[in-house]
This record gives sequence, C-alpha cells and structure tokens, in this order.
Amino acid sequence: MMLFLARRTAALVVAVLLASFVVFLIPYVTPGDPMRKIIRSRVAGDAIDGSAVEALSLQLGLQDPLWTQYLRWLGRFASGDMGLSYTSRTPVVDQVLPALWVTLSLVVLTLAVAALISVVLGITAALNEGRAADKAITAVSQAFIAMPEYWLAPMLVLVFALELSVLPSAGWEGPTSAVLPVAVLALRPASHFTSAVREGMLDALGADHVVAARGRGLSHFHTVRKHVIPNGLLPLTTLVAVWFAGLLGGSVIVEVIFAIPGMGRLLFDGVLNSDIPLAQGAVVVVVGLAVLLTTAADLVHGLLNPQVRMRHA
Amino acid sequence: MSEGLIIEDLHLALSGKAPSRKVRSGEGPIARPVLSGVGLSVAPGEFVALVGASGSGKTMTALSVLGLLPPQIHVQSGSIRLGGTDLLQSDDRELNRIRGGRMGMLYQQPKRMFNPRMTIGSHLAEPLKLHRGLRGRQARQQALELLADAGFDDPARCARAYPHQLSGGMAQRAMLALAMAGQPELLLADEPTSALDKVLERQILALIDNQRRQHGLGVLYITHDLATVSAFADRVVVMDGGRVQESGPARTVLDTPRTAFTKDLLAASALTAAQVTSAQAPAAGTAVRIPVQPLLRTPTAGTPLAGTPAAGMPLRIPVRVAGHTPVARTPLRTTVRIPVRRPPASEAGAPAPSTILALDDVTKRFRSNGRGARPALEGVSLSLREGEILGVLGQSGSGKSTLARLLVGVETPDRGSITRTLPAGERSTGDDGTAVQLVFQEPHDAFDPRMTLRASLEAPLLRRRNCTADERRERIHTAVRDVELDPDLLDRYPGQCSGGQLQRLTIARALLLDPAVLICDEATSALDAVTQRKVLDLLLRLHSDRRLSLILISHDMNVIRYMSHRVAVLYQGALVELARTTDFFANPSHGHSKQLVAAARPDPRAAAPSGDYGLDAAAVGLVLGARTSP
Repeated sequence: MMLFLARRTAALVVAVLLASFVVFLIPYVTPGDPMRKIIRSRVAGDAIDGSAVEALSLQLGLQDPLWTQYLRWLGRFASGDMGLSYTSRTPVVDQVLPALWVTLSLVVLTLAVAALISVVLGITAALNEGRAADKAITAVSQAFIAMPEYWLAPMLVLVFALELSVLPSAGWEGPTSAVLPVAVLALRPASHFTSAVREGMLDALGADHVVAARGRGLSHFHTVRKHVIPNGLLPLTTLVAVWFAGLLGGSVIVEVIFAIPGMGRLLFDGVLNSDIPLAQGAVVVVVGLAVLLTTAADLVHGLLNPQVRMRHA
Repeated sequence: MSEGLIIEDLHLALSGKAPSRKVRSGEGPIARPVLSGVGLSVAPGEFVALVGASGSGKTMTALSVLGLLPPQIHVQSGSIRLGGTDLLQSDDRELNRIRGGRMGMLYQQPKRMFNPRMTIGSHLAEPLKLHRGLRGRQARQQALELLADAGFDDPARCARAYPHQLSGGMAQRAMLALAMAGQPELLLADEPTSALDKVLERQILALIDNQRRQHGLGVLYITHDLATVSAFADRVVVMDGGRVQESGPARTVLDTPRTAFTKDLLAASALTAAQVTSAQAPAAGTAVRIPVQPLLRTPTAGTPLAGTPAAGMPLRIPVRVAGHTPVARTPLRTTVRIPVRRPPASEAGAPAPSTILALDDVTKRFRSNGRGARPALEGVSLSLREGEILGVLGQSGSGKSTLARLLVGVETPDRGSITRTLPAGERSTGDDGTAVQLVFQEPHDAFDPRMTLRASLEAPLLRRRNCTADERRERIHTAVRDVELDPDLLDRYPGQCSGGQLQRLTIARALLLDPAVLICDEATSALDAVTQRKVLDLLLRLHSDRRLSLILISHDMNVIRYMSHRVAVLYQGALVELARTTDFFANPSHGHSKQLVAAARPDPRAAAPSGDYGLDAAAVGLVLGARTSP
C-alpha cells in the first residue's frame, strides 16, 4: 500500500509540475506585451517610456534563462504568492481562495444531488430491466445527457425566476440561490451516473456469486441488498471523482450565467481581461485540485476493492 | 426425512425467445425441451453420480432442485421432493429455508461463486445466521470449525482471506465449508473438480466422502468423468440429451453398460484411468496389466501384443475401469478405435533424429511490483525432435504457459537461447514466424466473438500475397475437413458452436499455416471427457498424417500418458525431470513427479507418497488421516 501511495504521489507531482509549466508559459506566448500591462497595473497614466520597460525587465529577472524564471515563479507560487491582479491590483490569492470555496460548495452540492438521484433511478432501472420503468429512466437520462447547460440554464431561469418568480435568477446568497445552478449543473452528471449505476447493477446482478448466495438460502431482497448493490455501486465512486475534477473547471458557464463568484467566473474574467496572474492562479489551483481528486478516486477505489487493495499491499 | 431427494418425471423447457419477461403464457411458440422426464433419487447417506457429456442437462437438473433455474427455463411438469417436502410447490420463503439449510451446493468454478468484496468468514456468517441462528462469537467459532473440517490448517487465516487470495482447490474447500454450514441433508456438487488437477480432485472427493460418512449426507455428484467418481459412487445415473439413459448400482452400470452412450463414456474414461489387459486371455486372477501406452507405441520386444495395429483399425481390447478393483471383477470389454502414433525417428530406427526446437538454459523472469519474484522459468534446457510428441507436465504456476509463449516467440528469454531448426524444403512457408503454432486452452476465448469463423480462419492467410480468394477458401475447407468438421459451420459465430467444435477449429486455424510444430497449451482441459478423447485422437492422426511434431502442455497425467513419447516435468519454473513416457510412469525420479504419478494412479484410495510439493500439507494429511482411521 505504501508503495502504491508513493507511486501515485509521484505521478501527481509530475502532473502538477507539467501543468504549472504550461501555465507559466502563458504570458510568453500570448499576444501583447505583458511588460506594458504590468507597468500599466502599477503606474497611473498611459505614458510608458522605453527605459521603464528596460528597468522592469531587469528587475523581474526576465534576462535570466527560462528555467531559472520558472523555478523562481514556482517558488513564489508555492509560498502562496500568486502575484498581483492587473485589473483589481490586489493579490490574486485573496481572490482565488473565496472563489474556490464558492465553487467547491457548488460542485459538492451538485454531485451529492446527482449521486442521490442516480442511485435511486439506476437501481430501480436495473431491478426492473426491460420493463416500462427501466425504459423510461433510460430514455430520460439519455435525453438529458445531450442537453447543453447554456440552453438549459436560461430556460430554467425563464420558467422559475421570471415566470413563476419562485427562485432568484442570479447571485450566490442563501440556499434558494443555489437551486437553479445546482439543478442545471447536476443534470448531466446525474444522467451519466444513472446509466453507470444501471450497468453496474446489471453486471452485479448477473454475477455467478449472486446465484450462489441464493443457493445459500438468502432471500432475493437480502441478496440484492448485501451482494448486488454494494458491488453495483462501486463504479460510481470513480465516476463521481472524475466528474468532481471536471466540474471544477466545467462550472464556468453556469457560474457566468448565474453570476456566481466562483473559480470559473474568476477564470473567465481573468481571460477576458488578459489578467494573466489571475488566470494563472485560477488555472493552477483548479488543475492541482483536479489531479488531487483523481488520485483520491483511485485510492478510494482501491480501498473499496480488495483485489486492487491487495495487489498493491 | 428418511426418503432423501426424489425427482420424478421432470420436464424442463427453454422458451423460444431470449430472456424476456414478455413471453406471454410461459411458453413461447417454440419451447425447446431441456429435460424430458428425468427421474432419480438420492437416499440419505448415499453417493449418487450423475454422469453425462456437457449439455446433457446435468446442471439444469441440479438447478431445478435448488429452484434457481435461469428465467428462460421453465418446469413443465414433474415433481421434486426432498424429505417429503415438494420443492416445486414450495413458496419462496420455504425455499429460502431449504436452500443452504437442507441442501448445500458446490459449483464448477468456486472462485466465481464468492462475492469478491467479502472475506470467506463473512460469507460463512450468512448461512450460520440464517439457518442456525448463530451470531457473533458463536458464529465465528463455528465458521472456524467448518473450515477446519474442510481441511484448512489455519482456518482463522482463511476466514480473513478474500476469495481472490485462494487457489482453486482452496476455494472449492471453502465452498464445501459454506455448503455444510447449514447442516444440510443433501449436497449437490456440480462438477466441483473438473477445473482442478488430479491431486486436488482427490482431496476434494475425499473431503466430500468424509462429510457424507460423518453426517449421513446424501450426495448428488455431477461429473463428466466416470472414472473419477467410480470409486465413491453407490449408484450411477447416466444422462444424455436431457434424458436419463441408464441408472443403477455403480457396479452394474460400469460392468454391464446397456446403452451405447454409456459405453462411449466408459471408453473416454478409459483414457483417463484405464489399465488395459492383454488381448490374449489372461489366466484367471492374474491379469497382465499393460499401461495403454505400449499399445500405442511401436510394440517392442516383451510387449504381449505383437505386430503394429494398422492405423485406425478397430481393436477389441479388454479394459479394466480404474478404481474398480473391488467392483469390476470381470474386465469390462469395450471396443476402442486406436489411432496409431508414428514413432519419432529414433524409435523407428531411421537415421539420427533431427532436433527441431531446442531450448538452451532458458530463463524468463516477469517483473511484478519491482520486488524479487522468482523467475517463471529458470535454466530450462529442452529439445524437441522431429516427429516427436513431447508432454510437458506441471501444476498451475509451474511455468508451462511461459514455456509455450517462449516457444512461439511471443516472449523472448531473459537468458539462454531458443533454436529452431526447421526441416528444409518440406514446408512451403519459408516463414519462420508461422512454423510453430499454438492451440489455446479456452476455445471460446480464441476467436473474436464478432467475426464469423470463416473470417477468423481467413485472417492469418490474408497476409500472404500469393494466395487468391479461391485458394484461401479451398485451403480453409480442406483444413476444416481435416479436423473432421463440416465447412458449413464456418458461417457461424463462435458463440453458436460447442467447445469441442471450436477447439477443432483452433487446430484447423493453426494447420492452415502449415506448421512444423504444434504446441497445445492445455488444449483439452476445458472439454468433457468424450470430446477430449476425440480431440486427442484427432491430434494423433494429424501427427501421423502430417508428420507434425507436438508439444502437449497439460496438468492431466492421463492425457500426457496417452499421447506423448517423452515427458518433461516443470516444477516451480525448473525442469525437474525428462524421461521416456513409459520410464516416467513406471519409475518417476523427482519427488514432485512421484506425487503426480501417484495421484494419477487409478485407485484413489491407494496410498500416495506424502510430501509438500506445492500442496496444502494439511489437506494431504487429512486425506491420509481419513484413510488410516477405521
């Protein structure tokens, strides 16, 4: 198990370093002169003379080799210094942390709702394979999987916020404001989870050991509860973690539409305003978290599956 | 209670359509019969063997007793009673009490019958709680006792283990403990040992027999291998095509089989454990025993049967069925068509035999987890002569399959060399890569399920530029006829063929490339005894018609004895013995070989040398202990 952990951690570090290097390169490959942006962010007024650029470049160490610059940048980043935002002229960290908190709440809530719905529907569908309930659940989940958020979100706002006026159309204050964004965001993972739970349950139902359990005198109900459901839900754990990572960055559209001050929103603003430090900070945090979650998913899967657990023990 | 299991006139049918709950009245338009009027009984304490080839309806009979038939199979009529309770009329609640409580079941693949995410101990807790009301400490205590009864020397460790940590033999013993947990009066055993080697098979049978004697357990033992159970069975029921062909006391059925099918089964079992007596009438009581082997070899001086039998000539030889020393007083007479092996050049007195494949000090190591695993093969030197049949024996994990992969060239050795000296000119291929072909263990896995068999067979020919579509068609048909199959079969998909048919097709596919050497990696282990015999005889015929050299890899002693000129024994990756087949079986030199030979000896109750060669010492001890106790 220790070896397994060590190997996973090493892979994790490499992934994060690779991502950070790409992020580090952004200002070097984006059009427009970052130097002028930096100066503009620090000095009032539009006039920038060549000597100031020269001096700043020297001060920032831009004449050093690329890898020295990268290491320096990485060191500052690791110690929590993500630089100053060009637009707000405040430290990026102070914007990233609150936004991260908002996004995490949104995503966790979304996944909880999606998992709950999918477990109920997926198990119902599998236990009624081929009957009307199964067909209805499968058809609906297939339909929702194809429904884009940028279409669904305005539709829901139109109905619940504008026509019925029962829910707020935007913002992030109080539980009611979370209903619409969570509903929109949960729809696709819920559909995906439902079909995964259904498949997992069907596999688990068809396993030979289920016949053996009945052969020992366990009732159908008891067999399903003890031998089918736990095995059938196992694929869901990995899937939830994958979606967790995906939603951290994928919530951009929903956060923008519902004006939620989360990471997606921050990233969106950073990119739109060419606010490079802000974008860099947001991307590195999201990527780091995503990699961490994927690794956590592997570990959880290992803990739940003795065959994986023992192989690495 | 006193009457045991009674099945009367049981009819089962498969509804015409795929599993769907929409089949209106239970029977679709075409209801294909699965069982037609099966009747049998198992008295308390009785050991009944239910024998038949695969697909004969044995398993369906067992499942209908459990009341766990697949949804597409229905009981049409008949009755199944256990100790006075009509099982077909019982409701689910009643059946749940009976399953596991009054009858236990063993399955063909025990490892798949455990929930992979639960320990053996938690499996045992279920029936103990359900049928005996035991919980907590009491249940754990009882579970340990059950495991100890099933031959585990460290029951606590087994209880903590997950199914995937057990070997096949251990899993079957754990399954036996599980089946016995509810203190049943009937044990249904559905081919519990056909996936195990002979040593383990004997352990399991002895354990079952032990439980039968201790607890007055009725045993319905399903098998396709008559010889194995003959020593234990009180009565034998022979099934074929969903009907009981023949039944009666074991001695009657075995000595005077009435139907042709039973005779076939006996002939097939004769391969697995027969002793053939001389064709000349032996003096009463002093039967001269000759192993099957010399008959098939070129007779040498001293063999009572003089003269080479012509190939394929039907030969009437008396066969004594194994394990029936006390039962079969008069030798059983069966007509066996004997295929004749072309002897390797050395024995035919031809010029010096040329070596066709040679391994020199070959070592292969698979890295697992970076820790020092022992090599899969270590320092193996071996050669195959032209026209020779070399048997490679070894238990699972001994490196047999690694050897096959090295020989075909899928793996390369870490150390040492493999030399192929192919006979010049004879083969048209000239392509080194196809001169050695492999036949796999599991025929169903050897074909792409989404390709027709014709497409699968054609694939290796497509590589060759000098072969037109018509030529390919012609060659495929020739090869298919060569393995005694109808070319019409080629338009089917693998799922529509039997294991025996598919195994013939894998052989046909290998033959298409005109190999000089055919390697059969457990090629018949997945087949039932009758089919196995047919495939083996086919291989012998190809060997003699085509001058094919064969390497047979198997854990089955009897297949090796039946087929090969020489035997190589692999044990934990090392070659521990290499000898001529007759010498090997008469006088094995290595300890492991001795144990293997002893296990293949016909009488399962004969003394076996003890010793821990990759076996569970406790189980061996238990078997021996049971034998010495009065």
